[in-house]
Amino acid sequence: MNLTDREKRMLDGSEGLLKQKAMENVVSYANVLGAEKLCVVTKAHLFCGSHPYMNALNSDDIDEVMSEMHFCSSEKVVLDKIECYAQSDVAPMCPFNWKEMGVSEKEHENNVNYLKRYLDAGVQLVGSCVPYLLGFIPLMGEHYVTSESHAVLMMNSLWGACGQADGLEAGFWSAVCGRTPLWGLHLMNNRKGTHIFDMECPTETVYDWDLLGYTIGRKTPTHSIPVLRKGFQRPDVTKLKSAYASMATTGGPEMCHIVGITPEARTLEEALGGTESQEIITITEKDIEESLGMLNEGGREKLDYISMGCPHYTIEQMMMAADFLKGRKINPDTILHVWTAAPIKETANRCGYTQAIENAGGVVLTSSCPLTSEKKPEGAVTMAFDSGKQAHYIKPGSGARVWYGSMEDCLKSAVSGYWEGR
Amino acid sequence: MERIVLHGRGAIGGVAEGIAMVSRETIQGWSGVDDKTGIVIEKGHPFEGMSIKGGVLVLSGGKGSNGWSCHFHAARVGGIGPAALIFPKMDSRTGVAAVVTGVPTVTDLEEDPFEIIRTGDLVRVDGDRGIIEIIRE
Repeated sequence: MNLTDREKRMLDGSEGLLKQKAMENVVSYANVLGAEKLCVVTKAHLFCGSHPYMNALNSDDIDEVMSEMHFCSSEKVVLDKIECYAQSDVAPMCPFNWKEMGVSEKEHENNVNYLKRYLDAGVQLVGSCVPYLLGFIPLMGEHYVTSESHAVLMMNSLWGACGQADGLEAGFWSAVCGRTPLWGLHLMNNRKGTHIFDMECPTETVYDWDLLGYTIGRKTPTHSIPVLRKGFQRPDVTKLKSAYASMATTGGPEMCHIVGITPEARTLEEALGGTESQEIITITEKDIEESLGMLNEGGREKLDYISMGCPHYTIEQMMMAADFLKGRKINPDTILHVWTAAPIKETANRCGYTQAIENAGGVVLTSSCPLTSEKKPEGAVTMAFDSGKQAHYIKPGSGARVWYGSMEDCLKSAVSGYWEGR
Repeated sequence: MERIVLHGRGAIGGVAEGIAMVSRETIQGWSGVDDKTGIVIEKGHPFEGMSIKGGVLVLSGGKGSNGWSCHFHAARVGGIGPAALIFPKMDSRTGVAAVVTGVPTVTDLEEDPFEIIRTGDLVRVDGDRGIIEIIRE
């Protein structure tokens, strides 16, 4: 490993125990990858909060838990300072409407105590999975870390920034020492497409793109970089937010070029970088139907719970949901949760969207989601989502019965109390 | 007794033995492994219902959530983690998982482990020398 003098000082402990532990982990990670150098990270998006996986240590001592679960250290280190700009990702609950999620007072207090520690260390408590809509915008060639899988695809693919699906711990290491291994997608030569995808399926709506992403994720091999070549209608950020979220659920891509749309794929030749693609894969309507069958139980049944807004809704999506619900009432036996980011909710408040959703009987929540919180309203068994990511991940652990459809399907179902989609 | 030796690059040092769990299909990053039991809960996965505790995981790479590593980390802390890891090629998810799990890990293999190692084989992983030994009765 070639370390700079500053990096060597961090590693030998001259800059304190916290930086030393962070740097030890980054160097170990670099050795595992086979990286020769580190690069400077300017932005970190961190999985902050009293998340369920941290209970593995079974301790009430926050420093002890953070030392092990963030820094792999049985020796206590205090996270009190970070090196680069940082925002928090989702927490295990909404800071205001946590009771609606089935979170206890004690769990809420514990999360508040955790979040204060990150804030004091310099992390902005934005609490969202869509940091790229909220001021976390790394430019082309800029190195960042994030704990959100679809955010990697968005920021790498859409504006040429350099990040990877590192994991929750690596985010904290990089935030503290401002470094990550110069490896993989941090090197521009490694970002060329490997597999071409041609579409013979609908690509008109957010729902179409959500299912398309889910299907590409299923079909694309490990370590591939998909290139969407032809057969699709021009997407927008909202459609790609959904497509990349479901793609990073069933697959591992950290970069996905779209010819004519993304900056490193102005042409197919540029996307492939002068090499032959390893395979050309066509996504047909049959493939999409197969995905739908995996996500959606189907049939008109009574629903206990409907959750929308994964990834967190944009302000435009908040407006669409509010417009639909204006003058309508949600079935009293069905709970409707609409998830967004706090700054977007503030705008939704000002525009009257929050009130329209609440007047109908829905609840607007921020800073979390059912899958990361591992919470659902008490007694809820039958549930519906407008996100392949939520519908897919909720299934195995919760004993839930899951329906999946478009935003409109979910809103119609909230009103009738029964599944109105396919 | 049959002994087969595979060569790669040691990523995390140390030597460990365990029963191999081999899958070209990697485990998903969220709702893949139960943190509390170490049991694979991913629907339809070849390991569904099996525990990773003490096993030698042979996987193609990571997929799904960036939280991939944290579930292996939580399993290690809870005493139900794997004994060793084998990845034919490293990626960012598996790289972090190797660090936080801290168990002997071998990567960059010269041979295709999926053609050679079988689930149920006794495997010895030497992360210092980058050597994998398959021991069959």
